[in-house]
Amino acid sequence: MDFERWLHVLALRWRSLTGARQLDRDLDEELTYHLEQQVEELVGRGLARDEARRIVRRNFGGVEKAKEACRDARGTSTLDAAWQDVRYAVRTLTRAPGFTAVATLTLALGIGATTAVYSLIDVVLLSPLPYAAPDQLVSITGPYPNGAFAAMRRELGTMDVGAYADGHFFTLSGRGTPVRLAGTRVSAELLSILGVPPAMGRWLHAGEDAAPNDRFAILSYAAWQTRFGSDPHILGTSIELDGQAHEVVAVMPPSFKFPSRRTEVWVPLGLDPRNTVRYWASDFMPVVGRLRPGASPADAHAEIRLFQSRIVARFPWQMPADWNRDVSAIPLHDALVGDVKTRFLIMLAAVAAVLVIACANVANLSLSRAASRRREIGIRTALGATPRRVAQQLLTESVVLAFLGAIAGVLVAAEGLSILKVVLPPDTPRLMEAHVSWRVLLFAGGLAIVTGCSFGLAPVAQALRTRLNGALDSGSRGSGGSVAAPVRAALTVAQVAFAVLLLIAAGLLVRSLWTLSQSDPGFHAEQVVTAHISPAESICDTADRCLTFYRELERQVRAAPGIRGAALVNTLPLTGAIAKRSVVLQGYTVPDGKAAPLFWLHAVTPDYFKVMNIRLEAGRTFTPADLTGRPAVAMVTGATARRFWPGQDPIGRQVRFIDERSWHTVVGVVADVRGFDLARSVPEWIDGAMYVPHGPNATMEDGRIPSDMAVVLDTSMDIRRVSSALEDITSRATGPVVVDDVRAMKSITADAIAAPAATSSVLVTVAMLALALGTIGVYGVLSFLVSRQTREIGIRLALGARPSDVFWRVIGEGASLCTAGILLGLGGAFAVTRWLASELHGVNATDPVTYTAVAAAVAVVSLAACAVPTRRAMRVDPLIVLREP
Amino acid sequence: MSKPPDLMQGTLDLLLLKILALEPMNGHAISVRLKQVSSDVLQVSDGSLYPALHKLEQHGWVTATWQVTENNRRAKFYRLTRPGRRQLDKEAANWGRISTAISRLLDLGHA
Repeated sequence: MDFERWLHVLALRWRSLTGARQLDRDLDEELTYHLEQQVEELVGRGLARDEARRIVRRNFGGVEKAKEACRDARGTSTLDAAWQDVRYAVRTLTRAPGFTAVATLTLALGIGATTAVYSLIDVVLLSPLPYAAPDQLVSITGPYPNGAFAAMRRELGTMDVGAYADGHFFTLSGRGTPVRLAGTRVSAELLSILGVPPAMGRWLHAGEDAAPNDRFAILSYAAWQTRFGSDPHILGTSIELDGQAHEVVAVMPPSFKFPSRRTEVWVPLGLDPRNTVRYWASDFMPVVGRLRPGASPADAHAEIRLFQSRIVARFPWQMPADWNRDVSAIPLHDALVGDVKTRFLIMLAAVAAVLVIACANVANLSLSRAASRRREIGIRTALGATPRRVAQQLLTESVVLAFLGAIAGVLVAAEGLSILKVVLPPDTPRLMEAHVSWRVLLFAGGLAIVTGCSFGLAPVAQALRTRLNGALDSGSRGSGGSVAAPVRAALTVAQVAFAVLLLIAAGLLVRSLWTLSQSDPGFHAEQVVTAHISPAESICDTADRCLTFYRELERQVRAAPGIRGAALVNTLPLTGAIAKRSVVLQGYTVPDGKAAPLFWLHAVTPDYFKVMNIRLEAGRTFTPADLTGRPAVAMVTGATARRFWPGQDPIGRQVRFIDERSWHTVVGVVADVRGFDLARSVPEWIDGAMYVPHGPNATMEDGRIPSDMAVVLDTSMDIRRVSSALEDITSRATGPVVVDDVRAMKSITADAIAAPAATSSVLVTVAMLALALGTIGVYGVLSFLVSRQTREIGIRLALGARPSDVFWRVIGEGASLCTAGILLGLGGAFAVTRWLASELHGVNATDPVTYTAVAAAVAVVSLAACAVPTRRAMRVDPLIVLREP
Repeated sequence: MSKPPDLMQGTLDLLLLKILALEPMNGHAISVRLKQVSSDVLQVSDGSLYPALHKLEQHGWVTATWQVTENNRRAKFYRLTRPGRRQLDKEAANWGRISTAISRLLDLGHA
């Protein structure tokens, strides 16, 4: 059928459905015209009008019959038949409430789980980013410091670029108790590149990100509401951030969450070429670009590569040859959802497997019913129903059933989605935007049709093979149709296989999680409470004043009741905070083409190791005298010592920061601490870790000592009391001090495991669901086989077979199905779980323990499912069975 | 079409398509024309003419519009569509093939 005609026919069908009354009137008029014309003709030939009418009527032959035939021609008969099928299906299903309930519930779980995960994927992976023309936005994969970014902005021709530095905090003071605002530093163009207009105010103008003309602030909607009481006159006013006045130029709309929903305030970068160190060495920033008209992503990629080769030479010092060498411009969407994608696809695959199992279950149930409906179908065939008509009716029934499942499934999905939102890590991009949208409903509807048609195929295939005679004769509980047994066996094997596959995936994730949670973090802080201290600029403007403030703080905290020990550290483990410096090591030569080693730099007070229970491996820890910085001392971690001074005694060795003269002497070696995450002490791009005393030599990359510190307290007090004690102490300082993030170290450790725990808990739930459904499937098919063979078993028993023979026969049948399923599942897992590798720590994707355990568990559970039908088979009474007609 | 159409049914369709290929007409005029051209050999009752027309319309081979006739009455005029013209060619060819085949078969006895 060609398209034009197809459209036309579609329009006509639509008219037939909706405008039936008008069509009937038209038909009346048309026929009336015809009849009257003929009457006129006859009258013209001289007949009397009455006579003419009679003749015409007679010749026409049944006006009503003709009208009916015309109505039939309108082509609604297929639709009518479909509607009839639907009504019939509903009646049939209501007559079998047990079957309908079980099937609906099974499908609701399968469709619901799949729909819930899809609703996440729809928003997070499939929806375009909420920015203007998002397909023109690219992410430049390498981070660049201020200076390199400024050059990039000047020189690139294919795109406009904007940079942002996340993870800054600004102390907002001058409005009651000072608070810390999470902030992102941005280049002037960033917001206009994203193309999101402010709720009020304006974007930054070009040049407003260069010091000293950079004292501006843009507020998030949430910050404007909570921190500034939705002040309608906020624009143009001055707020105090880190002790300096910033003019509020805009409030962004509530939907704007860039780079994450944490950001409360956007502040210009403050580009300052005179401060060489900061300009070229601190804040390596991600860069976002908007392609200019006519430029393709490939052009942008080529240009950024070219730029990279130029910029390396312009750093005031030698950059490693391979720094950012593989930089590329990729779509911003890919860059933002990168690592989430794998987890979501794993989850989708898992729930899809559950859906397949659910389908197989319902197919099995339908087959059992179809066996008992052979008579009905036989009669319908005998009365003239074509095979096609029977098939259509059976399929309709399956699809109606699937739609019932989908309706219940949407409820399951809504509930599941709200659970997922709680369980998944909160930094998942755009998580909160996910909801049951019309696209999700459409997806659920599509799933219903697909699943309905697929599990509906089994009973249809069976019905089509039903021989008329076979169905109508009295032996209606005969062999159940030639198609049923092998199909059902295959379905069961598939179910068990999928359940095994999912359980292995879940098992691997759980084992990986177990390994992580059991791995020694290097510190033992069961009773440690920590807090983040950010003093105002006025307190920390010079190193001396800053150190004086902290010494006094530490002294008072230690003296407070209920506190057994206290120490300070610049970067707490597992909080995402990192401080790093390039170093020169005595007795270690940097290989050609490599950069100087980059170390994680911890600035700590002497009691840090005692409070956190970090084991000393050699030498000594810091003393209060070391805090003066004369002589300058340092400690390294065991792994660092072994890597850079292999086989040598690290004590007494010297190390210095690359841009400073003074050497620090290593006085001690401590155990490695899982600082970056539970699997790694330092990220791959950092080479080692060292500790220096929190004194005048504890300078960071910007040449200053850290002004924000975390305090760690050995105490049994709860968080609220610690918090008020700290606030009490800091209120006596010479300027405003923010105390926040008061938490137990335990909960920080727990949070670190939250993301992998979320994936595995979702997968475990899904795998359990799969096992439950699979077990029901095994039970169902074996019950069916037993009921089919009741007569045969009866005969065997009558002929002298022992009940144990029956036992072995039936259980053997079940066991062979399960074994086939388990073997297939193991093979599948072997092939598939390598995709999980990125999510696994300390456990191999083909871990034999998991494989064996899952295989054994599934074997036990599925054999248990065989038990009931087997018992039933053994209790068959030959006297009763053989007497049945 | 997968199977050859029912002969009489197909024949009526073919005739209607052919008549409408000449000019758009209303139902009554078609009935008159049918009788004229077939010299009353083909007895098509008016009662089956209209269902056939409506079926052609539903297939998209003809379209119908309400127009005013010479004697100033409103009547439904049928017009052949482009797909209808293609269908006519196809059915005419089909008819030719079948009638040739049948003639040949009938001639066998005489040979």
